[in-house]
Amino acid sequence: MGVNTRAIESEGERVRAQIAEWTQDYAPLPGIPDEFVGADGARRPHWERLLQALASIGPGEIEQRFATADRRIRDRGMSYRVPGESVERTWPLGRMPLLIPEAEWRDIAAGIAQRADLLERVLSDVYGAGRLGAEGLLPAAALTGSPDFLASMRGVNPPGKRWLRLYAADIGRGPDGRWWVLGDRTQAPSGAGYALENRLVISQAFPALYGEMNVERLAPFFRQLRAGLKSSGARSEPRICILTPGPMSQTYFEQAYLARYLGFLLVEGDDLVMREGRVYVRTIAGLKQADVIWRHVDADWCDPIESNSASRIGVPGLFDAIRAGGVSTENMPGAGLIESRALLAFLPGLARRLLGEDLAMPNVATWWCGQPAEREKVLASLGSVAIASAFRETVPGFGDKRSVLGQELSAAQRERLSRSIAARGVDYVGQDVVRLSTTPRWENGKLAPRPFVLRVYAAATAEGWRVMPGGFCRVADHVDARAVSMGAGVESADVWVLADKPVETTSLLPTPGKVRIVRLLGNLPSRAADNLFWFGRYIEREEATLRLLRCLCSRAVDPDAPMSGARQSLERLRAVLVSWGAITAAQAKLPLPRAAEAALRDGDNYGSALDIARSARHAASVIRERLTQQTWQLIGRLETCILAAPDRPLAEPEMIDCTEEALATIAALSGLFDENFNRGAGWIFYELGRRIERGINTCRLARHFLAENATAQSLTILLDLIDSQITYHSRYLIGVALAPVRDMALLDPFNPRSVAFQAQAIDHHIATLPVLRQDGMIEEPRRLSTLLRAELETQNAEDITDQRILILEQRLTALAEAIGARYFLQGAQHARAEKVIGLA
Amino acid sequence: MIYDVRHLTRYEYDAEVSVNTCVLHLLLRSLDGQVVEQSAINVTPPATRMEERPDMFGNRVTHLRIETPHRELAIEAKSRVRVDRPPAPMPRITPTWESVAAASAAAQSLSADSPAFALYPSRMVDLFDDATRYAAESFRADRPIYEAALELNKRIRADFRYDSKATKVSTTPAQAFAKRSGVCQDFAHIMIAGLRGLGLSASYVSGYIRTIPPPGRARLAGADASHAWVSLWCGRQFGWLGLDPTNAIPVGNDHVVIGFGRDYADIAPVEGVALSSGGHDLEVEVDVIPVAE
Repeated sequence: MGVNTRAIESEGERVRAQIAEWTQDYAPLPGIPDEFVGADGARRPHWERLLQALASIGPGEIEQRFATADRRIRDRGMSYRVPGESVERTWPLGRMPLLIPEAEWRDIAAGIAQRADLLERVLSDVYGAGRLGAEGLLPAAALTGSPDFLASMRGVNPPGKRWLRLYAADIGRGPDGRWWVLGDRTQAPSGAGYALENRLVISQAFPALYGEMNVERLAPFFRQLRAGLKSSGARSEPRICILTPGPMSQTYFEQAYLARYLGFLLVEGDDLVMREGRVYVRTIAGLKQADVIWRHVDADWCDPIESNSASRIGVPGLFDAIRAGGVSTENMPGAGLIESRALLAFLPGLARRLLGEDLAMPNVATWWCGQPAEREKVLASLGSVAIASAFRETVPGFGDKRSVLGQELSAAQRERLSRSIAARGVDYVGQDVVRLSTTPRWENGKLAPRPFVLRVYAAATAEGWRVMPGGFCRVADHVDARAVSMGAGVESADVWVLADKPVETTSLLPTPGKVRIVRLLGNLPSRAADNLFWFGRYIEREEATLRLLRCLCSRAVDPDAPMSGARQSLERLRAVLVSWGAITAAQAKLPLPRAAEAALRDGDNYGSALDIARSARHAASVIRERLTQQTWQLIGRLETCILAAPDRPLAEPEMIDCTEEALATIAALSGLFDENFNRGAGWIFYELGRRIERGINTCRLARHFLAENATAQSLTILLDLIDSQITYHSRYLIGVALAPVRDMALLDPFNPRSVAFQAQAIDHHIATLPVLRQDGMIEEPRRLSTLLRAELETQNAEDITDQRILILEQRLTALAEAIGARYFLQGAQHARAEKVIGLA
Repeated sequence: MIYDVRHLTRYEYDAEVSVNTCVLHLLLRSLDGQVVEQSAINVTPPATRMEERPDMFGNRVTHLRIETPHRELAIEAKSRVRVDRPPAPMPRITPTWESVAAASAAAQSLSADSPAFALYPSRMVDLFDDATRYAAESFRADRPIYEAALELNKRIRADFRYDSKATKVSTTPAQAFAKRSGVCQDFAHIMIAGLRGLGLSASYVSGYIRTIPPPGRARLAGADASHAWVSLWCGRQFGWLGLDPTNAIPVGNDHVVIGFGRDYADIAPVEGVALSSGGHDLEVEVDVIPVAE
């Protein structure tokens, strides 16, 4: 008994000591509110609860759980892109959440819902009756400076009945302790998907904490968002597409993730086509109507016909379709206008005019210098306000600065700024300087107060605005921050809204009987089919290249390899590598280990194992929403296991190990596809890619190693390359001979590596694909596959000539082209009159 | 003055085009001082679909779609137009440019002719200090706006060289300014950049101008060209006034208007997206034939 009490006491002491260690240096900045420690120096109880819970987990285990979270982020491929960088960055998720008690959250949510309501009304006035302008409440020039004011949308009724469907606001806590709106996001608010991912990662590392802390769930919000998007479509089961700028977009990961999570179709501009006032997805089964487009493409890039004609990521004619009511686009093009800072100056007045009430949550005080009195006020107080662009990201004349403080400028700079504001005040706003409050951030085993910005989201539903209980929080790594955007040093944090009572685990199951049973999701978009096909081809090509390499290296080190002919066959293997683009002709003359190494990891060679692995990953990245995390992980591993080999000249055995590991990864990938991928059209295109590539590769190898004058050596190598040694020797007790090897490599329908086997599989797969022709005539891919299959089924090994093998290979190539022409997209060319003659 | 205007644009593509989508600003619009009697577009191969609707500035936009495979495309616009513009106001009686700038920023209307649309940098016209400073030399304090604008119009003609080889459609005003040469599009863009830099509203006008052949020679068929100039907002009373810096003249009865935009990008005569694998060659022929005084 006494021993137990002491144990409990000492555990309590340990927890106290642990918390003390984390927090002993924690000191809020003077005059700046902090989320953890109040102005009176007292620690807030909800933070104490969290630290208690964390400390009782135990020091070793807590590190382990944080490590789990880090690993999950890598495994899930969570990433983002910084503009101008070609490589995605791993998502920086901080260890400490941002905590907001329910009572406080209610005020935030009410303020956001009111603001969303106001903005919707402003948009429908600006693009509609224009009363606010006529009443002198909103000058026209405070709108037209925004690149997102789309005059062509004036008088248009939004097909989805609203201008805004997903709204986000960046908010921060000011020195007075109140929450302030710093900026509005109405174009295509990002971060909601990251917020969800953050939650998933942390909740998997600390499953019990959420229950203990009564954290509000995020899932219901996303259900409401989905229901809202669904209701904006004209049909009862609308096809909802997420329009992405593509894998080079900053937040492609998020778009792919949301598409997966919400069950929407991820499309690029090329996937969509406008016809007769409607928008369609190009699928392998022809054009299928798109009802709702959730765009993640800025309005200016959405329709090259009406807005930026340089856009390659838009849908020509989209705006026409919107005007015709044929497609609902969320948010409406033109809604991005709200993001201008100039508008912040007018919203308090507009709230009183349109809602008859003051803003529940104020926005940062702003003066638009296009108005004479406001301009004079800003010019007079240049030393104490921040100057920013009224409509653009950066301050005109100050490089990439998002805002400048008068007090930080030299006299000459200030003079220049004053003159610019006096000349073109319309381009500038003056704003109160924002000092953000701080929240604990985990740095080197301790907590430190760091400034943060919170992005909150509201979704329009049939029952009004719903605000996500949580959000996307960015925490800076330095003390002074006026703006916190994702980039160097900034971490994201999970946001916990803490309910007063335990949160009910709401059932995610819809009402029984309301769900229509579906077995296959039809209508694979052509772009996805294209990429799955090429992914299959690259994986197969990678396998063939790795097998060649393994064969080359193991023959070089095999002491039993008969000397006669060995040299010749090694030369031939090198020649194959050159013709496949794995090594250059110059590299082929290098000593064998160096040549093999080049074929393995010289990224400049388009046929090297490394480069093919990269191509495979690139093709996969475009269809990321269709792949499981595990698949994506294996695709990444293929590249890393090639790169992991030491950075020095490799010996043959090391290269064999490396190829073995890469081949094992491919086997695992193949297994995943075969066992887990639904047998829909997507799988079929992946399979077609693999089968066609394998058929072509086998033909090419056969041309090198099964020519009429082939030696026993080269026949053996071919059996090795197509993995058929054992089968051959169990079938034929005599040694290797040309006709039986040719039969096995080309004609044997029971050998999964033979060309005939591929032809059968290809023909079978194509037969299951949708047909466009309605006249009963056979489509080109099917005609070619049937022909090829029949030819191989009726051929005799004795009659095969070298010429015949070449023709087989060409047939396969023609088949691949026919598949591309029938099922995939064609590129568009942009023509503009570059020669215009003027007058003297 | 009555004109027959013919504008032919011919594309030759390197590879067959399966689908061609074009946006045309070729049909003329009636305005104060300009009555369009007839304006029509003919396309070879024939259009699968051709629709006309007004754009945000009230210009006539034609959307064209051709789904017949083709290697050549000819777009011909033919119009008959009667031009009789009111005389330009006396420069001295126009308001000071500063008061016009203030009125422009305070405009309440969002209708197509609102000065608010022509006040800001646009897709092809960035504001740059050199242009603003250049314009400011004419816009001295309290000067009547039209008087200052006519002077600027003359200076551009004097200081810049007409050279059709010096620039392309995509040349920025700053590049053309640095070269001190270009074509009508460049001069219009430069003038617009300078005027907007001063806080004034200036828009881009696409159209045609009648050419007078040298004495004793006949007018050469197809040798005319599409033209571009500037329209400046001169306050509520005087509205938009046309200035042609390429010829250093105010816009008069030799000019035929197609339409207005913030810059060339809003009102390019022909622009298209072709589904094809190759590039293209282009030929343009324009005739502006006076048929009656």
